[in-house]
Amino acid sequence: MERLQVGAFYQDMQQRLELELLGSPQGLSRFITEKNLHRPGLALAGFIELFTFDRVQVLGNTEIRYLKSLDSGAIIQSLQRMFSFEIPCLIISGTGDIPPELPSVADEKGIALFQTKLSTTELTQLLTNYLDDKFAPSTVVHGSLVDVYGTGLLFTGRSAIGKSEIALDLVERGHRLVSDDVVTLTKKTEGVLIGSGSKMLKHFMEIRGVGIMDVRQMFGVRAIRLQKRVETEVELVEWDKAQEYERLGLEEQYKDYLGVKVPHIRLPIYPGKNITVISETIALNFHLKVYGFHPARDFNQALKETLLNKTRVKSYLEGDYE
Amino acid sequence: MVAQQVTLKNKLGLHARPAAHFVRLAAQFESNVFLIKDDVRINAKSIMGVMMLAAEHGATLTIECEGEDEQELLAKLVQLVEDKFYEE
Repeated sequence: MERLQVGAFYQDMQQRLELELLGSPQGLSRFITEKNLHRPGLALAGFIELFTFDRVQVLGNTEIRYLKSLDSGAIIQSLQRMFSFEIPCLIISGTGDIPPELPSVADEKGIALFQTKLSTTELTQLLTNYLDDKFAPSTVVHGSLVDVYGTGLLFTGRSAIGKSEIALDLVERGHRLVSDDVVTLTKKTEGVLIGSGSKMLKHFMEIRGVGIMDVRQMFGVRAIRLQKRVETEVELVEWDKAQEYERLGLEEQYKDYLGVKVPHIRLPIYPGKNITVISETIALNFHLKVYGFHPARDFNQALKETLLNKTRVKSYLEGDYE
Repeated sequence: MVAQQVTLKNKLGLHARPAAHFVRLAAQFESNVFLIKDDVRINAKSIMGVMMLAAEHGATLTIECEGEDEQELLAKLVQLVEDKFYEE
């Protein structure tokens, strides 16, 4: 999301943050464009260079106490100076009394002013989480996301290659569908990619030749989930003799989504190949690797040791004519 | 059918990576390929089979090709072994 209207923010978080709107609602039409917060102590005191006015401004005890230490004229002057900037909105934390000049100057400048009973620390934490979430970079991919034994497998590949059918088959075997056809990928924190479906599509899916079905209705709530970390992408490709496919799995291939490296497997398919069982194997193998087992590496290590040993024994015995 | 004996010259012998090279090359051809070491004969399009041989440095193997493109395949496989599987 690029910008978030203050009104939408108020609607989302009014209850969670126990927000109360002081003064007029005209400021609700402004936009938040930054996920960071700012404590404007210095701006209140008059230092407005480098003032990050485009952030949500949080007025804690310190700021309020400072304002109260001034006389009415100085308060108004300080607020007018600060509020002449295009501030998205102001939030006062704590239950203390506030100077009456604060809501009136905010109204005059058309800035929404909220107050919450939460402490500044609590407010900052919750608000940061919320804004991080809203402003997290995201992208939409064509594919199906299924939670297979707890591993988020993202199936991609050209239209009609069978992504939905595989997802359906996995659901039938007790795995959980996140989304079919359209998956929104959001980078939550560094290295973590979360996939979710769209509100509109929910858990509907189209099966070619049959039509639209509702996975939740059909298989129940156990068969679905709303979001899942994307842990491996399985790209389905038609089997082509001329192409080379992975035989060992010694080296991981990755694909980049929003700067997150997602393990990438190119899986050739042809009639009669049981992609569902292979998908389950991919999911379980992913778990093994997480727990430190790497079958391809372990196998090769054992093989190399055997080979080295043989060579060693051989060279020792060479020319040994005792 | 054509066949040729080769000796493994790469340091580690037929571990996973050389085996994968061998199998990938073999898979591109129509002919059947077999690898013979001592008295074990395996289908060389199967990677697990090739690795099972545990053919070490200096081991002697026979490559056997059988099919329409056997000549070309055998030549390429022998070349691959000679090239030490691009390892060194």
